[in-house]
Amino acid sequence: MAITKDIVGKKLDRFDFTVERGKIKEFCLAINEKNPIYFDVEEAKKAGYSDVPAPPTFPTVIMFWGYPKIWNDMAELGIDLSKILHLKEEYTYHKILYPGKVYAQSEIADVKVGRAEIVTFRTTIYDEKNDPILSAEMAIFIRKD
Amino acid sequence: MAKIEFDKVEVGQTLPPLDVPVIEHANLVRYAGASGDFNPIHNDPDFARKAGLDGTISHGMYVMAQVGRLCTSWAEQKDIAYFGVTFKAMTKLGEKLTIVGTIKKKFEKDGKKTVTVLVEAKNEAGEVKAGGDLVVNAV
Repeated sequence: MAITKDIVGKKLDRFDFTVERGKIKEFCLAINEKNPIYFDVEEAKKAGYSDVPAPPTFPTVIMFWGYPKIWNDMAELGIDLSKILHLKEEYTYHKILYPGKVYAQSEIADVKVGRAEIVTFRTTIYDEKNDPILSAEMAIFIRKD
Repeated sequence: MAKIEFDKVEVGQTLPPLDVPVIEHANLVRYAGASGDFNPIHNDPDFARKAGLDGTISHGMYVMAQVGRLCTSWAEQKDIAYFGVTFKAMTKLGEKLTIVGTIKKKFEKDGKKTVTVLVEAKNEAGEVKAGGDLVVNAV
């Protein structure tokens, strides 16, 4: 099964995820980030934040821990999981991502077929008032044999 | 870390580089748990070899996270408007990366000052693993 352009615009399930201070700390320890604003609420407040912010690439945590169904969805869309490579990741930030409940929804933003097959997913992460916090674009490249 | 002052940055100016500790298997196991990305090519050497690789390779997002550390070591997290990279080569265990940044563009529109930085992760041979743009709101 191959991918087709017909899937452009298809929406994946909306889901929610609770960003926890402990998860931010764990993520920062894993990437060697040592800035105290990510670990200590008081330090964050001194720097002008209302709580510990999540670092720039933290949205990946929301995707993988919040929506593990992404793998099944990709397979159902005709993407061969054994052949994918991460090609691009882009974040546009509207607000600071803080601990608390967020909602997320992904859709297929673009598909390229032919010699190089590329699928781009756009995910928007919203706060509880449904205001967008950030949008992420992930492009995957499907290797050919 | 402070606000980026528009008048104090020049196109072509470089950011202080960031050295990343040599990437070891343990870093990737830990990153897998933290991020939730358990693709076995990053944590299972036997699986990786069967998939035609020499051994496990780094998560692209682990490399992007290191680029992100350069971004937040230079600009305040709250001033970052955009951060994106393209992955250009696989990063293997034992590789030592340096993250570099060069001011690419600065412009003012409707009173809003913006600075764009070319950010890259390179290995010791100068091979670019990931490269892209950081866009920061300046004052």
